[in-house]
Amino acid sequence: MAGAGRTDTRLVESETTETDAVAGVAVGLSAVLFALAVAALFERVSLTGSLFGVPTVTLLGGLLTALGVAVIAFGVGSRFGYVETNPDPSAGLIAGFGAAVPWVLIGGSVASQTLGLGVGVGAVAGVATGAVAFAASVLPREDLGSTVPLGALLGVTGLVFLTGVIGPTWVWELGWAQQAAVTAEFLIPVSTLFSALYGGWASAKAYGGFGARGRHMGAYVLVYVNALSIVAFLFILVAFVVVQGIPGLLNGTEFGFGTGPTTSVFGVSVALPVSVPFLMNGVALFNDFQGVLPAIVGTVWLVVGAVVLAVPLGVGAALFLTEYADRGRFTQVVEVATNGLWSTPSIVFGLFGFAFLIPRFGNGKSLLSGMITLGFMLLPLVVITSREAMLSVPDEYRDASAALGVSKWQTIRSVVLPAALPGVVTGVILGVGRIAGETAPILLTMAGGTFVPGSQTADVIGGFQFTSAPPFVANPELLQATSALPYQLYALITAGVGASSNVGNADEFRWATALVLLVVVLSFYAIGIATRYYFRRRLKHT
Amino acid sequence: MAQVTDSRSGRIRNAVGEQVRRTRRFVDETEPAALAIIAVMALSLFGALVGFLAVSDWTIVPFAAFLGSSAVGWVRYQEETAYVIALMMTVSTILILGLIVVFIFRESIPVIRYESATVFGITVPGIRMFIQPEWDAVSPPIRYSMVPMIHGTVMVTLIASAVAAPLGVSAALFLSEIAPATVREVVKPGVEILAGIPSIVYGFIGFTVLGPWASDQFQTTGQGSYLFVGIVVGLMALPTVVSVAEDALSSVPESMKSGSLAMGTTDWQTMTSITLPAAFSGVSAAVLLGVGRAIGETMAATVMLRGVPRLTEPLVNVFYGQETLTSIIARNYGEADGLQMDALFVAGVILFVTVLVISIGAQYIEWRMHERLGGEI
Repeated sequence: MAGAGRTDTRLVESETTETDAVAGVAVGLSAVLFALAVAALFERVSLTGSLFGVPTVTLLGGLLTALGVAVIAFGVGSRFGYVETNPDPSAGLIAGFGAAVPWVLIGGSVASQTLGLGVGVGAVAGVATGAVAFAASVLPREDLGSTVPLGALLGVTGLVFLTGVIGPTWVWELGWAQQAAVTAEFLIPVSTLFSALYGGWASAKAYGGFGARGRHMGAYVLVYVNALSIVAFLFILVAFVVVQGIPGLLNGTEFGFGTGPTTSVFGVSVALPVSVPFLMNGVALFNDFQGVLPAIVGTVWLVVGAVVLAVPLGVGAALFLTEYADRGRFTQVVEVATNGLWSTPSIVFGLFGFAFLIPRFGNGKSLLSGMITLGFMLLPLVVITSREAMLSVPDEYRDASAALGVSKWQTIRSVVLPAALPGVVTGVILGVGRIAGETAPILLTMAGGTFVPGSQTADVIGGFQFTSAPPFVANPELLQATSALPYQLYALITAGVGASSNVGNADEFRWATALVLLVVVLSFYAIGIATRYYFRRRLKHT
Repeated sequence: MAQVTDSRSGRIRNAVGEQVRRTRRFVDETEPAALAIIAVMALSLFGALVGFLAVSDWTIVPFAAFLGSSAVGWVRYQEETAYVIALMMTVSTILILGLIVVFIFRESIPVIRYESATVFGITVPGIRMFIQPEWDAVSPPIRYSMVPMIHGTVMVTLIASAVAAPLGVSAALFLSEIAPATVREVVKPGVEILAGIPSIVYGFIGFTVLGPWASDQFQTTGQGSYLFVGIVVGLMALPTVVSVAEDALSSVPESMKSGSLAMGTTDWQTMTSITLPAAFSGVSAAVLLGVGRAIGETMAATVMLRGVPRLTEPLVNVFYGQETLTSIIARNYGEADGLQMDALFVAGVILFVTVLVISIGAQYIEWRMHERLGGEI
């Protein structure tokens, strides 16, 4: 008996490697199809052209059909015992619904459009097809249920492409009052994409030998693909902006001593060794190269103003809530209010600034109104993160300090605040990154013209004046409309073609503005995340 | 009934009495000079607030008095001053929310009055904004209907949720349960940075790249479609869903997961039958918050949409994008005045109330989850 068992094991092992290879190839095929579909979607691969000497659509169809056949073969092989697996009695409801959704779409559109039976019949046919697919997934044993309906889906999609029923020039006019159509350029890549995902799911399940392990494999493949896509999306997005923005940004850049504008550092006037006109000029008629200096300075002042307003208020409020107030109705109300403020849409803050601040600061858009509006936006975040940071300070610290006989405030000042500082700083930096990129609130409260001359660069420190009439202190720079990077980009987009007359190449100018904005905002994030790592590592070491 | 009222008023009286006692104790224990300074601080700050609300040029005087008295208090009675300043800052946080409510509601009143209509013999103020789909600010009859914008916001939010919810929850599962530590260290900041990309940059890419592409693919006249605005907004709401859902998933006690794994289940079985059900309310709060983000997203929608406030034909035509509640404000604030401006405030009120309700709902759900798991963390 023991001997027989050993033989069995050996047999199973040798089979497993072969079948594993088949399922592995199927997973790989799905990955190739996924990549091809994405490439076609971004028009990197032409649908009308050909790949490796085969027309693209035919190639996609062929691969899909092959994948479908492989998936079905694996399932059937497992059912009849040619492949060693350990399937469950049923594939489960989730797999059933997953298989039903595409079949509803196929059944519905074939009945209503291809056969021309109308929307009502189409809906019925769609539901019926979906129900059949659902039953085919749920009723048989798992190895059949999780492969046959999906394999059939792949096969049908592949054959439709192979036979040219849906070719590269196929168009489905929707016949709606507002004209719209689904074209092959959209349908073929998207259906290939989803088919590839289904194929990958089914073959990963097969690779795991169905059952609990198979489902684990199938789910992990999808989850990993999702995580990878998100990271890839981020990289593509940033890279795209950088590539598009660099030419405009470096327009007229010079290196070398004395090329840059002179600034004074500690009273000594120094000529910068580099000149980047895009960052150092405004827009003027006689400039060789136009730039966005006023918007950069405006953004800096906005951030400074918002931080000066929000950080003391927010930290103070968090301090009161965690250290002084007893947990009760009052703290609950404040918590709900801050979280509510945090999720309030930015445009509502803009409206509020428009109704509340503008009449109080000279009845016009002003830098000050923008600062306060953004400060209000930043406030809830500062409260939330500071509170979290203070709550995470262990009570032992407080007790130890209190045992020394010092007052509560002294404990807070010399124990709680220093311990909570890293969290507060990180939170503030990340929050600043967020508000620095906000357009909607400053749209209504602060933003001025589209093209701002360099002479209008806000000089807040030099702008303070003292007067004899109330309010005694005046700062025209604060009460002036100015620009900021996100607003500048918005204004450039809405200015459309008219922008070209001012700045030569308007497209380059726009992309360069977007790049500068992205760099400014992401550098806040980079600093914030780096700060967190730094403090976390230091906490680990001590 | 009477008993209930009695006990409630009794409870209120007790609470008030407690508060009075506490205040009296504070007054007794504090030095008179410190009390005087605190009084000056409170009164002058209150004066500054009143002056600010009344648009007075003299606001600066009580504000300076506040700064001065706080400086004196800080030097001489730091303990008490710190307490009072912290209290005032807390109050001001609530005050700001209150001011937002008051001001955006106040501005929207005239148009609500203008758009009154009679339904079943009863005149309801503002109802005409919701029972007919006409927005026309130029030629009479002048109508400010919110219906097209609500339709647009609903379409965009539905599509955005369909994108953000599954992808976000799956990414959260990946980060909190599946990813090895090194991968997590890369992906997590990546998701945070995704949240940091300004919405106008998304809008710009959508406008210059996605818009023309989509109008080519779907052979529409002109560019701007709810479908692609929805997808872009969904990607923007994704980081919110990921980070809140991840918090919820990682707050499930390790003991529950280990217990399941000890039974010999796979990781995935533990996730679907233990972790996800236990964190279900937190995950749904995450999706809710994502929906709130999507509703409030402004700039991408403004830049990518057509800016014509009307319904699409037919209503399910996602290949055309007209206007949302947020984008109409951002687009029209410039030339609007009078009633039209007030109508924009109505859009703001609808947004504010919807998102506030969603936020409170999500907080309630999270609180319930915390209560349930509270004993085991």
